[in-house]
Amino acid sequence: MTVTNIAARGIKARLNELASFARNTSHVLAPLFVVVTLALMANEAAAEIPRSAEGHPDFSGIWQTLGNADSGLEAQSARKDAPPHPGIVEGGTIPYKPAALAQRDKNFAARETADPAKQCFSLGTPRGVYYPEPFQIFQRDRDLTLLFQLSHRARTIHTNDSLHPEGPIGFWFGDSRAKWEGDTLVVDVVDFTADTWLDHSGNFHSEQLHVTERWSFLDENTLQYSATLEDPEVYTKPWNINVLLYRHREPNFQIIENTCYTLDYDQYYPVPESAQATPSS
Amino acid sequence: MSSILRNSISFSVAPKVTSIKQALLAAVVIATASSAAVAQQDEFREDTIHQVAAGDWKGAKLADGQPDVQGHWSNTIGNHNDFTGTARSPSRVTNPADGHVPFQDWARVKAEDFAAHLENPIRPEYVEPFARCAPGGPSKSFMWHGYEIRQYPDYVVFLFDSGTRVIHLDGKPALPETVKLWNGDSRGHWEGNTLVVDVNNVNGKARFGRSGEFVSADADIKERYTFDNEGEYFLYEAVYTDPSVLTAPMTVSIASKRITTETETDGWNNITFPVSFADPQHAPDIEAWERTCVENNGNHGDVAVEE
Repeated sequence: MTVTNIAARGIKARLNELASFARNTSHVLAPLFVVVTLALMANEAAAEIPRSAEGHPDFSGIWQTLGNADSGLEAQSARKDAPPHPGIVEGGTIPYKPAALAQRDKNFAARETADPAKQCFSLGTPRGVYYPEPFQIFQRDRDLTLLFQLSHRARTIHTNDSLHPEGPIGFWFGDSRAKWEGDTLVVDVVDFTADTWLDHSGNFHSEQLHVTERWSFLDENTLQYSATLEDPEVYTKPWNINVLLYRHREPNFQIIENTCYTLDYDQYYPVPESAQATPSS
Repeated sequence: MSSILRNSISFSVAPKVTSIKQALLAAVVIATASSAAVAQQDEFREDTIHQVAAGDWKGAKLADGQPDVQGHWSNTIGNHNDFTGTARSPSRVTNPADGHVPFQDWARVKAEDFAAHLENPIRPEYVEPFARCAPGGPSKSFMWHGYEIRQYPDYVVFLFDSGTRVIHLDGKPALPETVKLWNGDSRGHWEGNTLVVDVNNVNGKARFGRSGEFVSADADIKERYTFDNEGEYFLYEAVYTDPSVLTAPMTVSIASKRITTETETDGWNNITFPVSFADPQHAPDIEAWERTCVENNGNHGDVAVEE
């Protein structure tokens, strides 16, 4: 992927030219020219990020979080299956209803087998974003396609002024319709299945989950991602998470098909190597 | 899950299989679903493989110069039930001319053994991997359900009902040989109206048809996707050379036809949905919904039983 950076344009040099022009001209429109030019330059300074032909931020690239949010969204001490980390939930804890909190604790106890990610199922939203495997964003004017390495499944974020289809629909990634608010992509996600988890600590949601995501550039190689999760069946109030996503810049880095749900039966399909090959039992 | 999704998509994908017992049931369910859907395929049923000649591209181009072939497409002939031909469809093997896979003797025995046990899979290896939701291998997805092509600078992306393929146009070297993948790893470039693709890294575990044809992880695979200038058809041709399994090169030819807003939805070839817009004057459009398989198919057809 060629990143079409808009290079910094030597703003200092151009300011000097502009000042020189203002001093040396007596044209009646000179003040207006200076103001307009300064405004354009201010815009350029904010625009040192990849942009699409339409002028929106271009999130194309391969992204991944650092940290261990997927092991548990809330802050945690060291566990046998995860290092300690500070959590990504604003305010520290997820505002569960009492019965839902009990369910989360049951999920946590059973996580080694009950976590859907262990079966390589589609990760869902927002989990795909902070799961510790890369995903690639392919961007067109009408949509963004997120291809996750785990499960090698695609999620589409529609940016074509379309509406959610009539639900409920049990999508694994939800149904995503988005609008640009300046340089921030705001995504409305509904129509979820209840079968995905939010992390490997058993945090969960119901089919009533409503996610509002905000995607923007921190700099050309870092995305700021935040999500608000609402679910009146499971939480007492909306809550927020925030993570940064880093661009993979290793030479020739790519997403590799990881349909790991096949690994349990791969053994039954040996590569036939010779006339003597016999079926496995 | 809503009844809409259940009716439109669930039957079109393979059952979730978590045990051998389920796997055995799954094979039967797939057979049933395949024949039930045939009656709905009229708009796409053709008797011959529509030919498209390689040449210049005169149609619309993307900003980076690629022919713009984006959108929804589907197979026009048969499916994996009749890969080498039946009364209702010609063989998709167009070289050799007899329509049969040029197997080495031992490999023919293996394929026939698989086919003989398909509906009585007394061992796990007789369950078609596709029925377990494994990706179909490079060619098979083109003769299955409808699919979508999306294009980007440096990439052509195929979103299949049975997996995703990314064709790299960016000149990256192929992955190391030790990485083996169901759908392989693809490098391509455009020659006029033809996308020319080298497929590497296949794991050699997929089957072309339910009659058991296969190649090994040693296969050399060269694909050509030739698009007509009217945007209505393209011809997929893949040449397989495999000294471990075949006695001669084999060409697989599959024709695809474009799905438009006018195409009738049939739950098989055309599994798109009309898009709703707030603006009632907005031009009509179609979209495909999320494509999953292994996740969605517990209690498939109310036949398979989850443990």
